[in-house]
Amino acid sequence: MRFPEILALALFACVPVAHAGAGAVRADIAARLAAAHPGVAPADYALGAAAFDDERRAQLEANTPAPEAAAILAEGKRLWTRKFRNGRSLAQCFPNGGRRIAAAYPQLDAKSKRLVTLETAVNQCLRSHGEPILEAADAAAMGAVLAYVRSLAEGQKIAVRIATPLAEERFEQGRRLYFTRMGQQNYACASCHVHNAGKHFGDTALPAAPGAASRWPFVREGRAISLQSQVRECLERMGAAPFPAGSDELSQIDYFLTALATGQPIKPNAWRPR
Amino acid sequence: MSAAQVPDGRALFMRPDKGNCIACHRLPGGTGPATKSDIGPPLDGARLKGWDSDKLRALLVDPTRMVPDTVKPPYGRHRILEAAEIDRLVEFLRALP
Repeated sequence: MRFPEILALALFACVPVAHAGAGAVRADIAARLAAAHPGVAPADYALGAAAFDDERRAQLEANTPAPEAAAILAEGKRLWTRKFRNGRSLAQCFPNGGRRIAAAYPQLDAKSKRLVTLETAVNQCLRSHGEPILEAADAAAMGAVLAYVRSLAEGQKIAVRIATPLAEERFEQGRRLYFTRMGQQNYACASCHVHNAGKHFGDTALPAAPGAASRWPFVREGRAISLQSQVRECLERMGAAPFPAGSDELSQIDYFLTALATGQPIKPNAWRPR
Repeated sequence: MSAAQVPDGRALFMRPDKGNCIACHRLPGGTGPATKSDIGPPLDGARLKGWDSDKLRALLVDPTRMVPDTVKPPYGRHRILEAAEIDRLVEFLRALP
């Protein structure tokens, strides 16, 4: 049996526990983490591995701001303000030139009933003006745009609220994906980032799920790594074929993780080692 | 893969593309690199007392049969390791001090 087939089987055969609503899911995950790590403040989960590792935390502080962040932000600003052939720009597609918009993504589009991530919104703008879209996984272009637009929301608190049945459904789709074992290693995302968060895989502490959505993109080896790119890297490590960049599955995981991070301030472009 | 081509158990324990067991389990000093790994229990002779070769082999082939919610990968069932490689790992584990 090939592994895409194993993945498909796992998705159908490994049904997570019944859904209890976004609020209850958030509370359950928070309670698990608090019980396992009573000395770690939930606000620190956003530090990733550094929340559980003083040495890593010191490295992070020593590399703040990330050395390569300025160049990434300059490129992101260039792309954000670049004039299209029709004279418009990405900045003109969004309220206030894109200032303080990032905390509201992903959004649920009531008409299409699909999630609109920040990447989707950027590409909707480009497409509507006849411009070539950016590949969601392209760190050099999309990563830089995301780094810049999220820097325009620095400190803004994430405000993805799950307030309608459709929003609950999308959150639940993300939760199921996050808790479903997949790939050759038979891990779920939650195996590491909920059930074993703070424990060490080799010498690296495993980041906790509620901290994943507030600090992206992070800067690693001069590249801006988005939340969705990070999820795809994890899927590869799990021995699973990653969901395609820009897919509904990644949008649902993005939505789930961002809802878990609601209330946390956006602090993008932090340094992170490989 | 001929018997001569099968890496030794210690190498299989360490290699990220094979068992990568070292990522989750610490080893006794002198038997492998010192790591912070603590997802699984530290492994040594005392911990593995009572684990004969058949039981260890069965665990590595498919640990979910013994512990359904384990995060330990099913090395045999998912073909991460071949049968001969699992045998080498079992030998390595049983020889731990």
